[in-house]
Amino acid sequence: MTQATKITGGVLAAVVLVVWPWLTDDRFLHHVGVLIMLTAIGASSLHLIIRTGHVSLCHAAFMAFGAYGSVLTVMSLGLPFPVGLLVGTGAAALLAATIGPIVLRLTGKYFVLITFLFGEVVRMAIVENVALTGGSNGIFNVPPPHPIFLDTKAYYYLALAFAAFAVGLCARILGSEFGRAMNAIRDGERLAECSGVPVIRFKVIVFIIACALAGMQGSLMAHYNKVLSPENFSGIISLNLVVMNVIGGMSSLWGALIGAVFMVMLPELLRGYVNIQHIIFGAILFATMAFMPGGIIQAARHVKAMLSAKPDAPAPPLARTGAAE
Amino acid sequence: MTAPLLKIEQLSKRFGGLQAVADLSYEVTEREILGIIGPNGAGKTTAVNLVSGVIEPSSGRVFLDGRDVTGQKPHVLVESGLVRTFQATTVFGGSTVRENLRRGAFRLLYPGFLATLFDTPKAREARARTAAHVDEVMHWLGLERFGEHVASSLPYGIQKVLGMGIGLAARPRIILLDEPVAGLSAEETDHVRDTIRLVRERGIAVVVIDHNMRFITDLCDRVLVMAQGRELAQGAPKDVLANPAVIEAYLGKRYAKAQR
Repeated sequence: MTQATKITGGVLAAVVLVVWPWLTDDRFLHHVGVLIMLTAIGASSLHLIIRTGHVSLCHAAFMAFGAYGSVLTVMSLGLPFPVGLLVGTGAAALLAATIGPIVLRLTGKYFVLITFLFGEVVRMAIVENVALTGGSNGIFNVPPPHPIFLDTKAYYYLALAFAAFAVGLCARILGSEFGRAMNAIRDGERLAECSGVPVIRFKVIVFIIACALAGMQGSLMAHYNKVLSPENFSGIISLNLVVMNVIGGMSSLWGALIGAVFMVMLPELLRGYVNIQHIIFGAILFATMAFMPGGIIQAARHVKAMLSAKPDAPAPPLARTGAAE
Repeated sequence: MTAPLLKIEQLSKRFGGLQAVADLSYEVTEREILGIIGPNGAGKTTAVNLVSGVIEPSSGRVFLDGRDVTGQKPHVLVESGLVRTFQATTVFGGSTVRENLRRGAFRLLYPGFLATLFDTPKAREARARTAAHVDEVMHWLGLERFGEHVASSLPYGIQKVLGMGIGLAARPRIILLDEPVAGLSAEETDHVRDTIRLVRERGIAVVVIDHNMRFITDLCDRVLVMAQGRELAQGAPKDVLANPAVIEAYLGKRYAKAQR
């Protein structure tokens, strides 16, 4: 892709994202739009963590910190929404900075397990702490960020702005030299460390940024739904974010975004088949894993490669004979 | 004689009941090539791991430029100019040769988090400088033709050389090479030997570990012979080869074989 086509594509996408809500009066579509935008924040931020080689199953716990932090700031302390949003995001970041240096020393299945357990601990803490969080009943009548955002279409633009910020930040990080070091860590942690990359420190930085973004999503979600309960932040929510990355493809940020759109839209597309919705969903998941292990993005690349039908140039022959004895 | 660049004092490592390295001491001066040789299990790789910070020594000291760097993490040592390579071909298999070297050049390339995020002039300057340096490393190692090739698609011998390149990309003052010619043909071995000489000419000190006696004696200014975690002999290749203890205890059979 040339620079020009990239810019054209970007401008086109921006125009579509801004204009489409005016083409329909269907409130439900606007609602789905908001959900996609907010989910994209969580999916793309989780993608950052995945790119350092860690599959976190506690992303929802950080959303919970963002949501409760923000809602309690606004409702109990009577402070304006922007303060709540900052407090929520900051609380999630602080939590990440606290547990990150410990859990990020674990890898593979141990990291998955401990993050899953941590997510459950946070959820249980919310359930048990009735005085502060309302327990499993949750908190009702959460005010919107501003009365104008009672309109779903208006909230869509708020969500779009924050999603653009979050996704843009993730893309910028991945495209920077920091992102290059992240790729090095993912492909070979020991080699990266011996090339001078401070592996743990970089992983912690990524974790803090990603979890802060998750907190931001949690806050925006709570003030959109107007209610929040511990079930909004269960392990299933964390798992869904992982599934988005898997289905979309873990090799690029686009995968996370495609996965987010797919996973939010799918239940809506399957609304006619409520009884067997989960079965169809499971089948799609299976099929993706079996036939497109690299996710939708990888499958799309294959198709593109097949269409352009330009075989990869073979390696030039060696000047020196005998590669190995 | 100049002060040693790298000085190892009484380095020891014990894994449970196994004394992997015991009381190892050596010095490397600038532009020197030191060879460490010994049979499998002699503790050569452990010795490299101890010096490069991959594992912490049980006792002993490591001085770099007169500064005590014992137990420092690998990335900190890279910052100070000490780099190591790995015995197995350790490259970023899915990336191009050029990208491999850029990753190796992290120390030169990375201008700090905010600087890289906002692509400040400092970051752009670092990138341009590193691009030139990466080209230079490819030129030394004869990798130019493979610049855009994915590392895992290259023959084993080239991957070994690339592994060394990743280390050199960090612009070290001293590089520790762990078996750089293991599994290579005689011709490829000679190529690596010549490359290491070239590296030294660039002012980089080299510690090279191998059990290919001909390769080590051809290349090194000094040789340290290890057996069972201990130093058996140390000195100029000729003297070490003539050392009766070395011949008796270890080299006799193997060296006789290599001579044939």
